[in-house]
Amino acid sequence: MSIQTQLPALRATGRRRGTAQRGEARWTFLLIAVVLAILAVWEAVVRAGLVPEAFLPPPSKVLTAFLALLVEGEFWQAFAFSMGNVVVGLALAIVVGVVVGLAVGWSPVLRFTVAPFLWLLYSTPKVALAPVIILALGLGSESKIALTFLLAVFPILLNTMEGAVTVSPSLVRAARVFGVRGPALGWKVIFPATLPFSLAGIRRGAALGFTGEVLGEFLGGTGGLGHMLEQAAYQFEMDEALAMVVVMVIIANLTLSLIGLLQRKLAPWHDERTAAAS
Amino acid sequence: MALPDIRTPETTERSMTSADTDVGTPLIQVRDLAVHYSHRRTGGSLVAIEDVNLDVTDGEFVTVLGPSGCGKTTFMNVVAGLVAPSHGQVLVDGKPVTGPGPDRAVVFQDYALLPWRTVIDNVRFGLEMQPHLRGTGWRERVQEAIETVGLAGFEQSYPRELSGGMQQRVGLARAIVAEPRILLMDEPLGAVDALTREVMREEIERLITATGKTVLFITHSIEEAILLGDRIVVFKSHPGAVKEVLTTGIERPRSERSIQSDARFLELRDHLWEALRGEATAAATRSSS
Repeated sequence: MSIQTQLPALRATGRRRGTAQRGEARWTFLLIAVVLAILAVWEAVVRAGLVPEAFLPPPSKVLTAFLALLVEGEFWQAFAFSMGNVVVGLALAIVVGVVVGLAVGWSPVLRFTVAPFLWLLYSTPKVALAPVIILALGLGSESKIALTFLLAVFPILLNTMEGAVTVSPSLVRAARVFGVRGPALGWKVIFPATLPFSLAGIRRGAALGFTGEVLGEFLGGTGGLGHMLEQAAYQFEMDEALAMVVVMVIIANLTLSLIGLLQRKLAPWHDERTAAAS
Repeated sequence: MALPDIRTPETTERSMTSADTDVGTPLIQVRDLAVHYSHRRTGGSLVAIEDVNLDVTDGEFVTVLGPSGCGKTTFMNVVAGLVAPSHGQVLVDGKPVTGPGPDRAVVFQDYALLPWRTVIDNVRFGLEMQPHLRGTGWRERVQEAIETVGLAGFEQSYPRELSGGMQQRVGLARAIVAEPRILLMDEPLGAVDALTREVMREEIERLITATGKTVLFITHSIEEAILLGDRIVVFKSHPGAVKEVLTTGIERPRSERSIQSDARFLELRDHLWEALRGEATAAATRSSS
């Protein structure tokens, strides 16, 4: 009897997933077509001489510069510098964001005393703090890590907090019935229930943190991808500058896809549509 | 309506399984229980239940029947140790209830399963916090509970992959896995579709009679209350309180089909229907005035 009641449910989910995938595939196809069309127009416009090549090199030139970068030692050094800072800054932001977010979200006292300040800090344009941070921490990695952290931590923290606030009271009640309380309640119920929210926050935090790193390198840097981009633009090597932008777009997108993959892997029960706020 | 034989709350004609357990102190004693919820805005307080007295003997299946909002869930939450009484107390095995304990397990109307855990891990949740059960042998216990509720083969499924009825089977397995003496069931079949509900009623009846557990079963279905209960506690609302206690006295095992033609079933159903209709009418008048 149980098998009979089970099958329709499975079939229904299977069907839903199938249509969703087919739908997404169609959109991806359209997206690629649009991008290719834009590139073609761009190439044509520059070749026809409508825009000076010095200002806007054609895609073909950008591609050549991009491939040249990949065999350049200086580029990989800059890459390692930037990514190292992003990884450290983001790791700090994840630890602080998740721990503080859970604490503030779960404790009513903290929520009423600390949360208003967190929202205030969140709404402060932290980019404006960049010059101060560079003055305080110097031109090296420290100031970049600080900027990455500062930009990444708030989405992670606030999302985790919102997640902890919305943990279903019925799950907490069930946990209490079966003797789960104190740290075990946090570990077995609150943390896993909040995880999808944290992951959504981490996804936004990673994108913002990368921006923070590049910004820091722009404003006062001695190395890194942002610094290389600035140098290229300064020397009017627009093809290399644009190739750097392409590199950054690729890094950002790979990071987002990776975290998206983690979301599906670690929190498959979570329905993205219901978490529209994140 | 003349029903001289059914208003005998203290003598339970428990059929078959545990007729001899009626001796000694009752397993659950509810004494002058009242719960008031304070209204934060108005400063006043709302009386959820008042003056509830009830004795439940070991191995008895008691159904609690009442209209929605009559405080029957509040009553169960006090017995579970989730809500503190404002007045009076609940004694389990002679000791006052101060919080949840391993002697009592709850089956919730909304299942309350952990969505990130598979069936087997959700069932394990029922014994994880009990050191003496967590060691070796928990696997067998969990597997046995899963098989008892008919979920063998679905150990690795996630709740979202299961129908409502099957999710409630998981909830039931989680509640019985640590073998509590008392099962508290809060409208467990309320969110399950009608056909599955009938099947599961009979399964619960068979399962409980076999294990001899003491059960408090909350419901607003008259048929369910009669089919399952040794006794039926009828609640009235505003404030929630015990209106009457009836002994069913119908032979077990009972089945949905056979009970329909039982004279006692029909008599009880008519009586309960009258009692609840009075409650519902009173509630409607109150809300319109």
